[in-house]
Amino acid sequence: MNNAIAIAGALIGFGLALGGGAMGAAFGDGLAGNATIQGVARQPEAQARLQTIMFLIIGLVEAMYFINLALGFVFVYVVAGGVH
Amino acid sequence: MSRFFLLEPPPVSHPTVALCSGSIFCTISWDSLISSWISILVTIVVMSLIARRLSTGVPGQIQMWLETIYGYASGQAAHIDREAARFIVPLVMTIFVYILVANWIDFLPLPRPLHPANSDLNQTAAMGVLVFLIVQWYGIRVQGWYGYLRRFTKPFEMSLPVRIAFIPLNIIEELAKPLTLSLRLFGNIFGGLVMIWVLSVLLPQIPYVQPFWSALAVVLLAAWKVFDVGLIGLIQAFIFMLLTLVYFEQAREGMEESHEPGRGASQAAHQGGQA
Repeated sequence: MNNAIAIAGALIGFGLALGGGAMGAAFGDGLAGNATIQGVARQPEAQARLQTIMFLIIGLVEAMYFINLALGFVFVYVVAGGVH
Repeated sequence: MSRFFLLEPPPVSHPTVALCSGSIFCTISWDSLISSWISILVTIVVMSLIARRLSTGVPGQIQMWLETIYGYASGQAAHIDREAARFIVPLVMTIFVYILVANWIDFLPLPRPLHPANSDLNQTAAMGVLVFLIVQWYGIRVQGWYGYLRRFTKPFEMSLPVRIAFIPLNIIEELAKPLTLSLRLFGNIFGGLVMIWVLSVLLPQIPYVQPFWSALAVVLLAAWKVFDVGLIGLIQAFIFMLLTLVYFEQAREGMEESHEPGRGASQAAHQGGQA
């Protein structure tokens, strides 16, 4: 346990990054869903087109979170896995 | 704590082979190489089989889906540049089909060193850099060196000092394109792999879950693979194609003003006359 601080820092940092990233992705998803519901309520016949665009936007928004997740895992296992 | 790290590691590192000593540029992750070659071969075989069975009558389901995507891509490309659509459409369709096959190959139970090719950052970065270089070349070809460099002073309606101040931001924006393009695809596919690792390796470590884990894991893994591989793999392939088209369109920014200098003035005069 010489490197306890390094491991703890890596894991806590990963947790913080995941939490913050999840919040941002959730806000983005919520905004996209909100706009889609409003659009469908105004023009129900546009539902199919709006849904396609919504999934596209959600894909773009979620990508930021997934980048976070993947790089977080890489960092955790390079830092914490490297010193153990 | 130490037990946590003694488990089977997540799919972070790749086994490498060094062709020459020392340099990082000739170290090859052979597992990614094999995985991507499998995807390439599957792409070629499947697509030529589909191309051979093309019909002009009532199309089959696969042909209909591909025609939808192709129609979208060629429509967008023709909207950007009717001449350049000759090489833009094959490029983006190749990107789409290859990424789709490389992602969906994860439906098959791949043995350990093999993995969906896009979960290695080298693969996606190669595609991102290639798209970036082709877009730069296209920008130079279509606008000339002057127009290409002029595009880096982007808010064209601002005054000269402001436009000079914007140059670093525009360069960063341009360099961020291959970075986000490759990291987005890598992050999504790799995040999916990590989730599969969590479900199959990390979950049985929880004592309460352990007794009925094997039943739970089948359901969870099936649900996750359908969502992640099926839906996200498709969406990411489409987004990569879409962003490539958007970058081609952005490479033409500022062309209308520079090639028709009188247009803005005459429009303003016209509007003034109306008012």
